Amino acid sequence: MQNAKDTFYLMLQQRLAAINPQRIIVVREQRRSGTLVVENEAPSAQVPLDCFRLQWTSLALDRTSALPLVALTCEISYATDGTRAMAGMDRGRLFSAMDSELDSALSRPPLSTPKLDCTASDSGVAPVAMATNIFWSEPAFGAITATSERLSRTASVQVFAFQEAGEA
Amino acid sequence: MTPSTAPITRCIRAYFGPVDRTAGLPTLFDPAQLGRFPLDAPPAPWVSLGSISKFVRISGTKVQPLLGGAPAMAVAQVRTEVDASVSFEFDAWGKLQAALASGSQQTNLLATAAGAAPNGSGGAAAAPVTVVPEGTTASALNVGATAAAQFAPGTLIAVDLDYTGQTGYVGSGISAAYVSSAASVGSDLNFIRRVTLNVAVVASVAGGVLQLASPLPAGVPSAGMQISPLVGFCDREGARFFQEWSALFVLEGAQGDRVLFHYPRLQPMQASAEHGEALISSTPSVSSAPLERMRLAAAFRALPVRDPADSETVLCFRSYLPAPLRTV
Repeated sequence: MQNAKDTFYLMLQQRLAAINPQRIIVVREQRRSGTLVVENEAPSAQVPLDCFRLQWTSLALDRTSALPLVALTCEISYATDGTRAMAGMDRGRLFSAMDSELDSALSRPPLSTPKLDCTASDSGVAPVAMATNIFWSEPAFGAITATSERLSRTASVQVFAFQEAGEA
Repeated sequence: MTPSTAPITRCIRAYFGPVDRTAGLPTLFDPAQLGRFPLDAPPAPWVSLGSISKFVRISGTKVQPLLGGAPAMAVAQVRTEVDASVSFEFDAWGKLQAALASGSQQTNLLATAAGAAPNGSGGAAAAPVTVVPEGTTASALNVGATAAAQFAPGTLIAVDLDYTGQTGYVGSGISAAYVSSAASVGSDLNFIRRVTLNVAVVASVAGGVLQLASPLPAGVPSAGMQISPLVGFCDREGARFFQEWSALFVLEGAQGDRVLFHYPRLQPMQASAEHGEALISSTPSVSSAPLERMRLAAAFRALPVRDPADSETVLCFRSYLPAPLRTV
């Protein structure tokens, strides 16, 4: 199921970058598009702002199908303080833009994508398309949280994938 | 090869095509040739009516045993009755969706003449506007600069022939109504435009030409067709006409598999009905009531066609196109 998680991340990263190429973050002095998977990053007390942070939470397996069906919950959190130039008074607009970007990325057809075998990507080998597709539900947006001037929200998406033969 | 799995889908798409009622010819869909068509660009003359919900197919076919011997035992089976119906709700409202869900004839509410007497399905219509053949296409209507002044972007129009005493099925492109006698429709010059499904929305007006938002369903207007502006659509409980359509429902699976349900002949089996649906609420503890979204509910009975492949008389075709590289 790691391939399903990696595929979903790559799909979401590419779609969000296409929607808003200006959403860039700096992680360990590297400029990257504004999407990251928390479990793949170094632990930090700082919450990165103005980006989408993916966390994988619950897992369910259905073995009644010819191929086991895996259901993973992905929680996507994002937050903003607004810009310093606007003294944070644009935080509502920036936050609405992030809502819209995430909804567009997840709701735009196609709502499935070929699952990628990413097991060798650490060695520099490009991911290889597998035999099945992953697909996902519509995002469920949680309530907005306002802490001082910071606005944050977590959206949940169910990601589904068939577990192929020999796949970890 | 990968084991095949049950199709998983988020929605079903509906496409409808006209039936030539006079000739008794439905629009046939060949899944072997066109089964993988792009969902947003159906092959002509199929018209996409968008996604549908609560799609239910019901078979009323009865299979009875033939009994023989003592004690009686089933020695064979026979089909004593063949019946099929389909019901669903449209996710959007539009001219065709409302017409299909009306259960009978749908009427265009033509803009009325000054002083027209009130009528439930629209009063006497204003004088129609002549279509000038030169420069006219299925999506651009030349009416001349003077007549164009009465149209504006957003104007709904019906384009069809004048009623001059025709009987039988009327309506260009799609049979919209059945006229038993000229007297029954009061010899109304605008009657065909009153019922036609050949309608469009004016997107822009320039140089005496009405540019339409989408092409007319019946194609380039033929000689003698005129234009009547309209304000909306009306259907009536108790009207006697049965519409008939060819239908195609497509279930697009998440793995690239596709299931197609083709009903060459469908007639409505329920009168107009709507289903109220509560809107989603951004906060579960706060109800959105009394706001409701009204969905058009439709139910149809399938009528038979003969499959020339083996001369069987059938009601519908279900086709399954597996995902690539799957076991079958």
